[in-house]
Amino acid sequence: MRIGFPHFGNVYIALKAVARRLESPGDVLITPPPMTQHTLDLGVKYSPAEACLPYKLTLGSLIEACELGADVLIQARGTGICRLGYYAKGQEQMLRDLNYAAHFLTVDISHHKFIGIMRLMRDVTHNRTWHEIISSFFFAIGKLSALDRIEKVVHKIRAVELEKGTASRIYRKAITSIDEATKSKEVKELTKEYIEKLNRVPKDITAEPLKVGIVGEIYVVIEPFANMDIEIELGKLGIEVERTLTISRWVKYSLFLNYLGLDEWRKVHKLAHAYLDHDIGGDGWESVGEKVLYARNGFDGIIHLAPFTCMPEIVAENIMPSTKEDIPVLAVTCDEQQSKQGMLTRLEAFTDLIGFRRRRGEHGRRV
Amino acid sequence: MKGYLGVDVGSVTTKLALLDEHEQLIASIYLRTRGNPVDMVKQGLREIQKQISPEVEVSGVATTGSGRYLAGVLVGADLVKNEITTHAVAATQHIPDVRTIFEIGGQDSKIIIIHDGIVVDFGMNSVCAAGTGSFLEHQAERLNVKIEDFGGHALRSENPARIAGRCTVFAESDMIHKQQLGYPLDDIIYGLCQSLIRNYLNNVALGKEIQPRLVFQGGVAFNKGIIRAFNEVFDSEVYVPPHNELMGAIGAAILVHEEMEIKQNHHKSKFKGFGVSDIEFKTSSFICKACPNLCEVSQIAADGKVLARWGGRCDMWERVPES
Repeated sequence: MRIGFPHFGNVYIALKAVARRLESPGDVLITPPPMTQHTLDLGVKYSPAEACLPYKLTLGSLIEACELGADVLIQARGTGICRLGYYAKGQEQMLRDLNYAAHFLTVDISHHKFIGIMRLMRDVTHNRTWHEIISSFFFAIGKLSALDRIEKVVHKIRAVELEKGTASRIYRKAITSIDEATKSKEVKELTKEYIEKLNRVPKDITAEPLKVGIVGEIYVVIEPFANMDIEIELGKLGIEVERTLTISRWVKYSLFLNYLGLDEWRKVHKLAHAYLDHDIGGDGWESVGEKVLYARNGFDGIIHLAPFTCMPEIVAENIMPSTKEDIPVLAVTCDEQQSKQGMLTRLEAFTDLIGFRRRRGEHGRRV
Repeated sequence: MKGYLGVDVGSVTTKLALLDEHEQLIASIYLRTRGNPVDMVKQGLREIQKQISPEVEVSGVATTGSGRYLAGVLVGADLVKNEITTHAVAATQHIPDVRTIFEIGGQDSKIIIIHDGIVVDFGMNSVCAAGTGSFLEHQAERLNVKIEDFGGHALRSENPARIAGRCTVFAESDMIHKQQLGYPLDDIIYGLCQSLIRNYLNNVALGKEIQPRLVFQGGVAFNKGIIRAFNEVFDSEVYVPPHNELMGAIGAAILVHEEMEIKQNHHKSKFKGFGVSDIEFKTSSFICKACPNLCEVSQIAADGKVLARWGGRCDMWERVPES
């Protein structure tokens, strides 16, 4: 088997970690090239025009995996009230029409979760023992958590570093080193090392950066290509970004802690309760709850990322401005038509808006 | 005497405004960009220089508008500011009780919501350019009416034609259809104004809390037909400030004044002087082939030396060797 998958943030690091332990001569992992304009062009060309950006990008990425010879493709599946439910079906049909002989293996992310992932891993690795599978899974998750921990620091440093771009450079190196690590112990050491390195970056110690929380649909929030590197751009504007939505957190809670009663989502849903008291599909309910969370934690503003035509986020977005939490929200729609220049103009204006607000709060007047 | 210069390079027009220390307008110029922002900025500087006495010393320059980065490199800007903030600053300075700013320019339209003198929300057109200056101009041309006379026709209309305003293309075909049915010119023109306002309010202004006092600025605010259409929708009158077309440039000049003076910034202005208008600038672009992103990178050079580059997805080209 030559197993391919679509890119989604740092997930490829986890899959490569699993492959490093479980790969055999007959079963190899095919990592598609990093997402570029070419990926998007492919996705747009072979998707219905009204499909959302995550659909188009994952299709493009799958086509690139097929080009490298993948014959089995992994894709998520779910029963949330969102198009994710038919991503795999639609994409499988399209790949067949394009004459790629690839077979889809889907992971049900709304039901079987951990068991489903374990079964899938056993299916694709044939005779591996449960022990090997489970330990490689945790090794992979360890890498993702490590990267998420480092990225959290990167978000803080980017806003105050004296030489813009330093933190991003260190983060890119961290991704490569952690990707290459072969032992959990090594991953832990690297994490410590890179966090220390980041903390040593020369920074403006007088700066009190504005803080912005990022909410929205999980794919466009996590995949930098989909959101046009919005976190890096905000860092350049001197803004500290916080995003609770990370893959490692999703794994931690959705796969494990939720079953132990430590349901993070329930807390978020509770916060949303005044505005929305039920699931509207996708990540809509969470978007509203997290907005309330950021507002109460004293953030200066919120950026709401949503794919164009994403129903759950459209609902969440329109509930958000009417909330009484008194925090500015900038909605950014992600699709292939969006120009980076237009986004930057909005981000700059939003930065001024929240900056004026904060200064007025402090001095009681503008500027 | 000290002066503060604001340069607003929009997609269709280039505006320059020079303020004195008391933030009074002492010189201004309004030019068509005609796809050539570099020459227009140079010409603008020449015109400003002609209008002022030699004692005026430019102590700060700010650029704004979609061409703000390019203009910033050209003139040596102390501040490069987005057009939403500059428009809001100019409006709150001149009309302290403003709550809503409608700004319709050459290719984009915005709405800015102000509360107690600060921006609390804004919107900008993202998917459709219906209702902007270029579209109106194009239609005026097609109807063989000078854009300056457009408003006069609109004011004479008594039974405006209903024209679909969801999209420029539909609006145009609907207009042709109405023409062929024999509607009078005045009614078609005013119908168009109404449909553009409907489009604006349903797209850019959707979900925004519109409260008086309403201020309308930008080049399209010259158009009496659009003002009439606005006034029909709202209970309170839409106010068009003097120099509506210069508000972005004025806002930029106010901000750079604050930056240089109030904040006790003792740095000298980076303004390259009016002599900039004699320098040959060369703009060019290329496709970066370092990765499959194939970004289009633009650059500006003078005397064979690259001054700035932008447009790449990564920061590979952003750093320019220091001169």
